[in-house]
Amino acid sequence: MSMGMSREQFLATSGARVHKLEFWLEQKWLIPEATDTGEGFTDREVARARLIQDLETDFGVNSEGIDIILHLIDQLHGMRRALTHLRADLGAKASSLPPDSQA
Amino acid sequence: MAENPYDLLGVAPTASAAEIQKAYRKLAKKHHPDLNPGDKAAEDKFKDISAAYTLLADVEKRKRFDAGEIDASGAERPQQRYYRDFADMDEGRPYASSAAYSDFMEDENGFAELLRRARRAQANRRGDDMRYRLPIAFVEAIRGANKRITLPDGGSLDVAIPPGLVDGQVLRLKGKGAPGMGTGGPGDALIEVEILPDARFTREGDNITLELPISLSEAVLGGQIRVPTPTGEVTMSVPKGSNTGTILRLRGKGAPRRDGGSGDELVRLKVILPKPPDPELEAFVSTWAKGKDFNPREGNRS
Repeated sequence: MSMGMSREQFLATSGARVHKLEFWLEQKWLIPEATDTGEGFTDREVARARLIQDLETDFGVNSEGIDIILHLIDQLHGMRRALTHLRADLGAKASSLPPDSQA
Repeated sequence: MAENPYDLLGVAPTASAAEIQKAYRKLAKKHHPDLNPGDKAAEDKFKDISAAYTLLADVEKRKRFDAGEIDASGAERPQQRYYRDFADMDEGRPYASSAAYSDFMEDENGFAELLRRARRAQANRRGDDMRYRLPIAFVEAIRGANKRITLPDGGSLDVAIPPGLVDGQVLRLKGKGAPGMGTGGPGDALIEVEILPDARFTREGDNITLELPISLSEAVLGGQIRVPTPTGEVTMSVPKGSNTGTILRLRGKGAPRRDGGSGDELVRLKVILPKPPDPELEAFVSTWAKGKDFNPREGNRS
């Protein structure tokens, strides 16, 4: 994945307008990395920006709605992360059991 | 996408643009990959639906499709990576939140212990992100500044504030969070910047406004005055006959814009009479006939 895009590169890649980006930053929907040369955006921010644009343009969600959706999605991914860890933990135990007792 | 776009969206070939949009939104909401992070098939379904919509939402393309000039595969969306692809990896930070299950971990039962252990047991777990608040002065937000945060453990963190920052913006310092385990690497420091209000300046978008008191003689006769800006004092000419509420523009003295250039500083003048009242001025005004004839409220009323 490409590392550390500048603001200009991010705008070009995501197709977002400057004032939109500033609003997203203000809302903390995007959190670029602070680097010595300014903000560092990655493909992750581009993908997240695309999601915001999909919600806004294609689905007609307003900014209050987007705020809630992103919050829930972020919680969902936190859950998935915890589940992934649990799976690794439990999976290690389960594989030591006889095959027919595995779920 | 080879299927008929009308069938895919479940609309009649005679459907109106509004009906097509409605049908698309209904399906897309259900199948957007980022709204279905665990459903691998969602991506293909969404791709087909959006391709169908791209084709039918474009009047010109729809006409050509109906006339048989182009087929349904002409409108395929280019391959894209969805946010879920990043969120599922450890790259989901700093966005992923444990708010949905943190109460489970506080419990005193076997499941909570498993959750806690699963978190700890990650051999190469990335360190936690650390959150800080950093209050900065108004002029520092405009000019940019180098700040140092003292950490609870006695260490410190140097933060470069970029010029033109807005209130509440979060700066992410990579690798400045808590140390990780194994090869996990440290987390990030997330610094929420709070801009303290300034007694003189207020910000409106890229512009800065300032209320500046001037004397009666400066208002009547005009003159050169010194004006504070976030980057230091500058000289400005007050034109003859300026009034309370007159706004003068100092070009380029506002907040820096990221795409180059800066906003302006808007100076709102406020005429202040001498204090204590001056007998000479009173004597002059009482003999000043034109001043009595002039009624500034005239014409303002209905």
